Amino acid sequence: MASTRVAVDVGGTFTDICIMDEETGELRIEKTSSTADPIVGVISGVERAGVDLSQVSMFSHGTTVATNALITRRLPRTGMVCTEGFRDVIEIRRANKQDLWDTYKDVAPPYVPRRDRLTVPERIDASGKVITPLDKDAARDAARIFKRRGVKAVSVCFMNAFVNGENEKQMRDILLEEIPGIAVSISSEVMPEIFEHERFSTTVANAVLSPVVVDYTTRLGDSLAKKGYSRDLLLLHTGGGVMTPKSVKDFAARLAGSGIAAGAIASRHIATLCGYPNSIGLDMGGTSTDVSLAYEGVSRVTKDWYIEFGYPIRFPSIEVLTIGAGGGSLAWFDEAGSLRNGPQSAGSNPGPACYGNGNKTPTNTDANVVLGRLGTSLAGGELILKADLSTEAVQTGAADRLGVSLHEAAEAIVKVANANMADAVRLISISRGYDPRDFALVAFGGAGALHGAAVAQELSIPVVIVPPNPGVTSALGCLLVDIQHDFSDSFMVDSASTTPEAIEAGFQRLEKEAVARLVHEGVAPEDITIGRSAEMMYQGQWRSLAVSAPSPVTDVAALTARFHVEHEREYSFRRDDAPISFFRLGLKATGLVPKAKLKEHKPESRKPEPKLFRTVWFDEKPHETPVYERDDLPSGFTFKGPAIVEQFDSTTVVPPGTSATVDKLLNILIHIKGA
Amino acid sequence: MSAETNFNGLDPVTFEVLKNSFITSVDQMAEQILRTCYSFVIYNRDFSSALHDAEGNSVAQGTQDIAVHVGTLHFTCKAVIEAFRDEMLPGDVYAINDPYAGGTHFSDVRLIRPIFDEDDIIGFAQSNGHWSDLGGSVPGSFDVAAKDMFREAVRITPIRLFHGGRFCKDVANMIAANTRDPRSIIGDIHAQAQATNVAERDILRLVKKYGRKTVVDGMAAVQDYVERAMRHRIAALPDGVWETVDYIDRDPAAGEGMIPIRVKMTIKGDKVHYDFTGSHPTIGSIYNSAPGATFSAVAAGMKTFFPDLPLNSGFYRIFDITAPENSVVSAQWPVAVTGFLMPFEKIMNSIYEMWSKILPERAISCSFNLEYLLTGGLDARTPEKPIFMFYDWLPGGWGGRNGKDGCNVTTACFGTGLMAQPVEGQERVNPVLTTKFEIKRDSSGPGKFRGGAGVEKASILLEAEKTVISYICDRERAVVFGTNGGLPSMPHGLSIYRAATGKEEWLGSVFSDVSIETGDIFSRPTAGGGGFGDPLERDPERVREDVIDDYVSIERARKDYGVVLKPIDVELGEYEIDAAATKAERADIRAKRQAWATSDPQAISDKYKAGELDAMDAVRRYAVILDWDSGEVLPETTAQFREMFQKRTAAHWRD
Repeated sequence: MASTRVAVDVGGTFTDICIMDEETGELRIEKTSSTADPIVGVISGVERAGVDLSQVSMFSHGTTVATNALITRRLPRTGMVCTEGFRDVIEIRRANKQDLWDTYKDVAPPYVPRRDRLTVPERIDASGKVITPLDKDAARDAARIFKRRGVKAVSVCFMNAFVNGENEKQMRDILLEEIPGIAVSISSEVMPEIFEHERFSTTVANAVLSPVVVDYTTRLGDSLAKKGYSRDLLLLHTGGGVMTPKSVKDFAARLAGSGIAAGAIASRHIATLCGYPNSIGLDMGGTSTDVSLAYEGVSRVTKDWYIEFGYPIRFPSIEVLTIGAGGGSLAWFDEAGSLRNGPQSAGSNPGPACYGNGNKTPTNTDANVVLGRLGTSLAGGELILKADLSTEAVQTGAADRLGVSLHEAAEAIVKVANANMADAVRLISISRGYDPRDFALVAFGGAGALHGAAVAQELSIPVVIVPPNPGVTSALGCLLVDIQHDFSDSFMVDSASTTPEAIEAGFQRLEKEAVARLVHEGVAPEDITIGRSAEMMYQGQWRSLAVSAPSPVTDVAALTARFHVEHEREYSFRRDDAPISFFRLGLKATGLVPKAKLKEHKPESRKPEPKLFRTVWFDEKPHETPVYERDDLPSGFTFKGPAIVEQFDSTTVVPPGTSATVDKLLNILIHIKGA
Repeated sequence: MSAETNFNGLDPVTFEVLKNSFITSVDQMAEQILRTCYSFVIYNRDFSSALHDAEGNSVAQGTQDIAVHVGTLHFTCKAVIEAFRDEMLPGDVYAINDPYAGGTHFSDVRLIRPIFDEDDIIGFAQSNGHWSDLGGSVPGSFDVAAKDMFREAVRITPIRLFHGGRFCKDVANMIAANTRDPRSIIGDIHAQAQATNVAERDILRLVKKYGRKTVVDGMAAVQDYVERAMRHRIAALPDGVWETVDYIDRDPAAGEGMIPIRVKMTIKGDKVHYDFTGSHPTIGSIYNSAPGATFSAVAAGMKTFFPDLPLNSGFYRIFDITAPENSVVSAQWPVAVTGFLMPFEKIMNSIYEMWSKILPERAISCSFNLEYLLTGGLDARTPEKPIFMFYDWLPGGWGGRNGKDGCNVTTACFGTGLMAQPVEGQERVNPVLTTKFEIKRDSSGPGKFRGGAGVEKASILLEAEKTVISYICDRERAVVFGTNGGLPSMPHGLSIYRAATGKEEWLGSVFSDVSIETGDIFSRPTAGGGGFGDPLERDPERVREDVIDDYVSIERARKDYGVVLKPIDVELGEYEIDAAATKAERADIRAKRQAWATSDPQAISDKYKAGELDAMDAVRRYAVILDWDSGEVLPETTAQFREMFQKRTAAHWRD
């Protein structure tokens, strides 16, 4: 009988595997090095963990395969068919630059180079009328040329296709006739939204990724099936849900941020279980830190999202801010003599100086070793850090330059890293109208728990949550999600000239599509839930604001009233005299996946002994500090900082002046005094 | 500690936190504006915001703000302080759009809010947005024939729009009533006023956390930091004098001949001086710049060479400007200045050229000229026939660089945050159908590192009545230039295909109020960037790649680069370099090109009229400027152009 759930998160350095017993809610973790072909690492990790795949009821997976393919441009040759006269929409973009002043910093090139963008005569006007039918001969020529060039996918991007996709569909049919089996993405299906660049860019990303992720999911699915797994492989998408391989071919770009979303979901879930529906996730790894935010138990989602500036992917995506601050980030001095930290990183090879692989520049890890915050034996003794090399790097690379003591220099390095992370948290919280004091900080990733408390102190965040296995928290995120798809359709009409029936009909069209897709993925109709939203704006405005909509819609005025309220909440003003327009209708369709409950541990009165005492530096002073083994800490245990907690995949720093408790899910909660 | 790490008594961490918080507060204003604005011009990011200290100095700009505005915001803030000094109340918001008080042009309307901590003003928040219309004689308020401001638009000297939090409806309505789009104007007033409120809240939050003194000290510290860093860097450069000249195409009220803008830059110690002596007197069109805009052009041009520093009033303390009175770069009331961006970009490109010699690792050739097209009339697609205003601008090519080609299709250099508009959005609200919006082949100025490519856009007017078209551009004659031996790109200018006659009319780069009928097609290219370095030294392999991607035609590969390519299989993009023929072609061009660039312009005119050569041949090969419609030689203009061509291009060839 199937009773185990497995989640796998493939990162740049490690592949994390999280195994959950459905009956007991107990978790096990396995960590293995990521491999060039990620599937090798996944399978060997699963084997190492001794999982019998025939007993697995759910295998879910977050992957960076799509993200990496886009960034490195290791993409299959892909064609694009455009309306005649509009070959360069994805190269013209919106023509703006990310860096205002640096004339030597360029926007990245488009995913499909100009040579592989062909045009055909066809045109649809703004109202959806076909003013030039598709030239079938030209269409066939284009298909034939792509076939000769051996392209693996084609995107079809026609002007105004969001109102009428007929010409795009005809083009697709011709492509499929000429190149049977080729992956075709058409803009009217991938992202039926006004504004050509944003729609085409999403469609092109979808097309270039389709062969990549289809190949990957097919191979992974086959490998798992060979080992006895009999259910659908679930893939985490950027919107924070999972989808099955059946949807991957058509919506490949939804996986563009798969790996990034996992941590955000896990962070939100853990914080909610701890009673903190408002939480900020701080996922610090070897080279970078991902920051995310959940408010009232809901992750912030954005449609203004991209992997690289200039190439939007308009699928709703969990908002994650990534900065170049990780354990391996290098400390350096700029031309003005100011101490900087990252974004350059020593990575895992050569890694920090203390790895002894030749790097002599101090990293955050080296500074933490010097300060005694990090022990010298990691990963259960598999990785021995050479403290003398850290000392040498910090002394020559920072202390000598600053003219301060070794420990002052190490603290300066850590402080700059913490300030950079605090800035990222400010951007995602304060600049979005959220006060960090109302939030809990969830510190995870290999290095998150080393720095989390200090970041919280900087921002007056009252509590830091360190999950039981900080290093594999992202994998846990993959276990906690439902099958979820987002649907939207243009609905551009004045509120005064529409009816509840028209709005209801629009929603029902979307719902039909949504239910069909979920059923196709094997979701039982009774497990489907649907959330509606209507995007509206004051007539004359250019951006819309989404408000939730009831089912069924019976009253237009009730919707516009909701819009006034939301507009005032979001932008602190409303215009009751101004007419309102509808812009778009949206659906979030969810296929519920039964959730297993994490195991709860009864509080114990046992007081664990520190395994040792070590000199740890805080505020330029040495402190004799107890070092605990995480596995020894029972539910209900309360202790005071300074303290260090060590475990297989992470080290937690509890600074002086704070106190910590272990809760029934074995999270460590660090309470920041005065915050 | 070096001079750059002393922060007015603040510890380095507090300084860093405040510096970033100030910028974040300005970015939050931007975010709010984007989400709530009415003007589509603002929506496409023609806006900017600033935080000022209590004296009106700029403390921080936003990370995506328009360069042209930024250097003027402190002037308008100071003008408002001057006007209302002792009468300001918490909850007040003022408006100003006055170019003669340091603003840019009338379309850029600034809303300014004093930030009070208890009873004291500790700073100001300013939100500047380009409104869709401010009245005047043509839709969009761009009448190129205006000689003074009375035909241009409504001039707003400092006024109060909110009085202690109460909206001054009477004043706002009067301004809105003088425009073609009153509803949007009122909407944008609310959007901008609320945006300044966002910054106020944020600054007060900082005051609560760090105390008033620390925040106020921080405002001074970030300016001093930039000033110190700049002085440090300028002092490290050798003293010297650099000079250059760039041109506006013409004075429509005078005869043929380009309008010089002369700049002499002197670096001495840790200061820089810019002297515009010798620049032409104001001209009889709207292409004049008032002193505030000229100041901003200098700041923006120079800032480009120090991209890593934040921009604020500290930066402004290291340079000063001398400009002859009533010149094209220092126009006074009531001279028309709505087209100030034409002199503005000439100043920027001149400054690029001079600094490229000082910091060759950041060198860049001339970029395309910004352009605005306005078509307005009655939209006859529906029986109500509402007024429409089709207001469009295009990206183009940027100059070639030292070791790198120029950027293709990038927004104009006056403000790299400005976004090109989506055609689908335009087609929804205007009776205009675009038939082409694509990269223009061969538009790049050839060079060892070519300029970026420009675009071509063609649109057909659908059912419309009483419709006129205006166009604001330049460099039809003062063609985008190359440097270090690189070639110019091509002339700007618009043409209309008349449905009634079946003929194409060349209207050039500056005209207004020309009638246009249903079925007429108006089209215009934007130039590519100027080339950098001798095109005969470009790696033939790179030329081949450009031909495969169709940025460069096989014909011009031969003419401009001397690279001879043999098509093998065009469908597969296979071309072969004919090495021997390339060597011979390059030798032939080297032997002849000095003579071409000094040959008799009349002979070029004759060949142009006979269709034997085109405008690209004329400017790139022969350095001749013609009236592109009639083909007649423009002798004075050609003489001026050839002087530039010799200095920037021919003198660098090692033939």
